[in-house]
Amino acid sequence: MIAHHPEDALLLAYAGGTTDEAMSLILATHMAYCESCRARTGRLEAIGGSLLQDIAPAPMSEGALNATLGKLDAARPFERRPWPVSRDGTPDVLRRYIGGDLSQACWRRVSVGLSYVPLLRRGPVAVRLLRGMPGAQTGAHRHQGSEYTLVLKGGFTDVTGSYGPGDLQVMEGDMHHNPIADPGEDCVNLAVTAGRLKFDHLIRKIAAPLFGF
Amino acid sequence: MILEAPELNALLIRVAGSRDRAAFATLFSHFAPRVKAYLLRLGASPALAEDLAQEALLSLWRKAHLFDPAKASAATWLFTIARNLRIDAIRREKRPELDSEDFLPANQPDADDRIVLADDEVRLRAALRALPPDQVQVIELSFFADKPHSQIAGELGIPLGTVKSRLRLAMARLKRVLGEAE
Repeated sequence: MIAHHPEDALLLAYAGGTTDEAMSLILATHMAYCESCRARTGRLEAIGGSLLQDIAPAPMSEGALNATLGKLDAARPFERRPWPVSRDGTPDVLRRYIGGDLSQACWRRVSVGLSYVPLLRRGPVAVRLLRGMPGAQTGAHRHQGSEYTLVLKGGFTDVTGSYGPGDLQVMEGDMHHNPIADPGEDCVNLAVTAGRLKFDHLIRKIAAPLFGF
Repeated sequence: MILEAPELNALLIRVAGSRDRAAFATLFSHFAPRVKAYLLRLGASPALAEDLAQEALLSLWRKAHLFDPAKASAATWLFTIARNLRIDAIRREKRPELDSEDFLPANQPDADDRIVLADDEVRLRAALRALPPDQVQVIELSFFADKPHSQIAGELGIPLGTVKSRLRLAMARLKRVLGEAE
């Protein structure tokens, strides 16, 4: 059962098209797990539809309709490119960034029991997969920006609570936490970070820039 | 006279079913100037807004067979097409989005999480018009300003928490109108 969902303001920004690619990716992946947020997004998009219906129209240039009608015969019906079925249930929206299933991702080791895959970087915003063995810790850290973590497999626990598959953790502003992977299977997360993390311990402080954190 | 959701849905279904060019022309005359206005509000130049509005309607023609009136109204469906075209063309970013088949069999939807259908759209629009101006403003800016809420708060000269609480109040009212539990 998913217990941690994005708030209305965040889904509204997604529905309105103002979230950046990284946020859109983590929200869309959350929605692959969460039917309820999919429905919420559908309602918020309906607000967009309502605003479109009510907006004061801006007249099109003369001939715009005929120009478009002239293109209809050559316009082929849209077809989704077929994508082979995932072997481990990785959502397609995420597989496009991994280039395959979670199990096919190229993991890079950070330390014993902790590895990651960089997926996307836009300026200060980075998207990564993180995998921790049971009991693994990323190390206590503080955020300069925001951190959004979506659990894909397993789970983790920190001062704010416990998170399982489909749960989205939002850490905004100057918050401090020390997530630890739960016992059982490996914990695999999709994480979006804006701004560098400040680790409490010296060894992590030195290692973090090397690994692009 | 403005075409309402049921008529627009019916026209779109005719485009999908029989490639009806007259129905398409009616949809174009209704929607293209609205999509253009939407793009202008978001800061597109008149020439680009005109081009993208034509492209959005051409997408409507190419994707009409994917339209499902049980999931969204024609206006909402076209809004998502226009929104994604803008992100692609102006921000030059991809828009990660779920395909309808990209759902994991996990949670059952809550009873109150049904999607807004065409019949609800008329009520939703009336409810939007009835919201207090400060709530309408933050909702409109979520759609018509390509900025994060923190920046919107800065420009309105109010704290981010106030933007979020106005959104919460607005959402609670809209949900009530649509007959959903909070």
